[in-house]
Amino acid sequence: MFFPTLLDFLFRGLEMSAPIAFCALGAVFCEKSGVVNIALEGFLSVTAFTVVWGSIAFQSVWMGLAFAVASGVLMSLMHAVATVTFRVNQIVSGVALNTLAVGVGRFLSQKVFEQETQSAANSYMFPTVLHINSFTFVLIPVVAACWFVLYKTVFGLRLRTVGENPEAADTLGISVNSLRYVGVIMSGVMCGLAAMVLYPSKWVNGMTGGRGYIALAALIFGRWHPVYAVLAALLFGYADTFRIMFESKIPIPSQFVQMLPYVLAIVVLVAVRGKSRAPAADGIPYEKGE
Amino acid sequence: MTLLKMDGITKVFPGVRANDQVTFDLAPGEIHALVGENGAGKTTLMKILYGLYRPDSGTIRLRDQAVAIKNPRDAIARGIGMVHQHFMLVPPFSVLENIILGKESQTAGVLRLEEPAREITEIMNRNGLPVDLTARVEDLPVGLQQRVEILKVLYRGAEVLVFDEPTAVLTPQEVVELFKTFRMMRDQGKGLIFISHKLDEVLDIADRITVIRRGQVVKTLLRAEASKPLIAELMVGKPVFLHVDKPPAAPGAVILEVRGLRQRSPRGHLVLEDLSLEVRAGEIYGLAGVEGNGQSELVRAITEAVRLESGDVLLEEQSILAWDVRTRRDRGIGHIPEDRHRYGLLLPFSLAENLVLGRHHRSPFVRGSVVDFARMRAYARESIEKYDIRTPSELTPAHALSGGNQQKLIVAREMRFDPILLVASQPTRGVDVGATEFIYQQLVEARSRGKAVLLVSADLDEVLSLSDRIGVIFKGRIIREFRQEEATKEQVGLCMTGEKRSA
Repeated sequence: MFFPTLLDFLFRGLEMSAPIAFCALGAVFCEKSGVVNIALEGFLSVTAFTVVWGSIAFQSVWMGLAFAVASGVLMSLMHAVATVTFRVNQIVSGVALNTLAVGVGRFLSQKVFEQETQSAANSYMFPTVLHINSFTFVLIPVVAACWFVLYKTVFGLRLRTVGENPEAADTLGISVNSLRYVGVIMSGVMCGLAAMVLYPSKWVNGMTGGRGYIALAALIFGRWHPVYAVLAALLFGYADTFRIMFESKIPIPSQFVQMLPYVLAIVVLVAVRGKSRAPAADGIPYEKGE
Repeated sequence: MTLLKMDGITKVFPGVRANDQVTFDLAPGEIHALVGENGAGKTTLMKILYGLYRPDSGTIRLRDQAVAIKNPRDAIARGIGMVHQHFMLVPPFSVLENIILGKESQTAGVLRLEEPAREITEIMNRNGLPVDLTARVEDLPVGLQQRVEILKVLYRGAEVLVFDEPTAVLTPQEVVELFKTFRMMRDQGKGLIFISHKLDEVLDIADRITVIRRGQVVKTLLRAEASKPLIAELMVGKPVFLHVDKPPAAPGAVILEVRGLRQRSPRGHLVLEDLSLEVRAGEIYGLAGVEGNGQSELVRAITEAVRLESGDVLLEEQSILAWDVRTRRDRGIGHIPEDRHRYGLLLPFSLAENLVLGRHHRSPFVRGSVVDFARMRAYARESIEKYDIRTPSELTPAHALSGGNQQKLIVAREMRFDPILLVASQPTRGVDVGATEFIYQQLVEARSRGKAVLLVSADLDEVLSLSDRIGVIFKGRIIREFRQEEATKEQVGLCMTGEKRSA
């Protein structure tokens, strides 16, 4: 049964990769505009809850999507207000939001489902195609759209400018802050989409498993480019799929196999050090000249 | 008709009247130079014109109409363009992208590139500014990057163009080209405001010259009535001697010997290629060259411990390659670094602390292992006096000093440590005439006291007037050496572009 297994691996790998890929695309927008976002993990853990909540509460997968995206936007807005308007250190804001997110999920779950670590089961989901969540395939047009927007539109050119040289943008009458807001909010939207594929049938505390961080690794490995970042996300997603499908069949202690995606992330980051270049103003709060 | 008239402009910052009733006007087809020492208020005035500052009082009129310029967008919309001293470019973007940025052509948000490219090509031809539109800005030499900045301004239809020290980064040949462009723009009826510290250039190109001192206009001169000593005197408020008086050289033993240095950049390009030179005691050796030809790498090889592919650096016949920075300084290498903010000073620290940096751990500044602050302050007061550093006190933080005084501070520190070799990198960059004069005297003084001086400067006039010998560096090697008496500006300038024909 080699071929069915291979096909299964290919499709499941795609499904496993999609949440990482969506998050990485969000990070591309955010960091191209000059704001570092290490809170993707937190965004994702919130949207992973709200998608289940919205779907069950309104008995509609579309409401799940709306909830996920809206909550992602809300989280990202907090990051934007802190880092863009008040110029808080972007790492500190990210850490705070990650910490907040853990509590938010458990708190809401307690309120909505009367249990702290998992939700009720959700059956309002997008249909399955080829044994995987059909929303996975949305990734493909989204990647294309992201590339087009970033490199072929006025908005994309200006967004990238703000991330490279905000002072130059300012002298040309381009608003640095509003573009950075859009960049940060895009990361919230994308984390909402990521939640649609992650595991919308049920929320379990801690289910994100570091995918938000892996997405950052994909971002760097992918040189802050939407297409390459998604390819990098696929690498990590397939590594994870390999682990799930084959860990019981390989004569290596499972703990080691489980490390695979994370070890891979470290190895990849060390390998590309110096070759991958962040936007020049990434992570630096912008203050207008005195 | 006047194109621009700024009338009674006043701008007060806490503690400083940066502009005090300044009046300035510009006619169409005129190049009007604005000169003054650092901190005199030129930049403030231009920032007001460009909408980066709001004046406290005063009016701006464009073509006889009063206008309020609230931000750069307003300025651009009204036909005011600024070529900033620090380029406002996005290095990884193409030339075309950089030019259209903020004034893009679009169809429903999608960029259109062909029509702007055609329009820009036309502007290039009309103004003598050819650049490859598809090149990435980061791959271009500085002179071409400046063209991109000018094209940006012209593409926005500017009628009033402000150039903030545009020649500071250019080779003499590039300056000639730039001035050709200036004249072409002037002939099209545009008004140019030209800010420069280089008085020869001002006299070469300007139609009128306005001198500002301490926030006030001292005088506006017509070209015909201006001369270099007159402008310098108006700027400083007292007569200035720009001429460097040097006793004849009496070179002694070789102090610094650089032998066959080879070094690669992290990207693998050769940045130093078999570079050799010697500097003797009692001699100023000037290194001329377009920036980025290995000057910084050479200076680092002398002053810091860096990895070299091959070659050797000797101080008094001893190899110094294995020495760390402290050892090098202790053995007598003084250094005036090109970037004084990053490498020359601890900006938030006091003047006194900055003055002892590098010797702070040694007597007389420590007793046991405790810093002797009283001694340090006394030493600082002496240095302030002797080196004419203008500061409220020795406890003033370095960042509160003007550029010229910061540089004097560094010169004072390095000179008082009594080095045997002084490496002076861009010692007068961004420094006003008064401080420049002083720094020149100090370099000559070091030479008279038998020190070896290696002078690295992008300012060719400076190199030519101070140096006893001049080496031209090009692509990491010394391609020709001149004695001072045989060096002309034209020859050395040509050599700097890699041209050896005149040899």
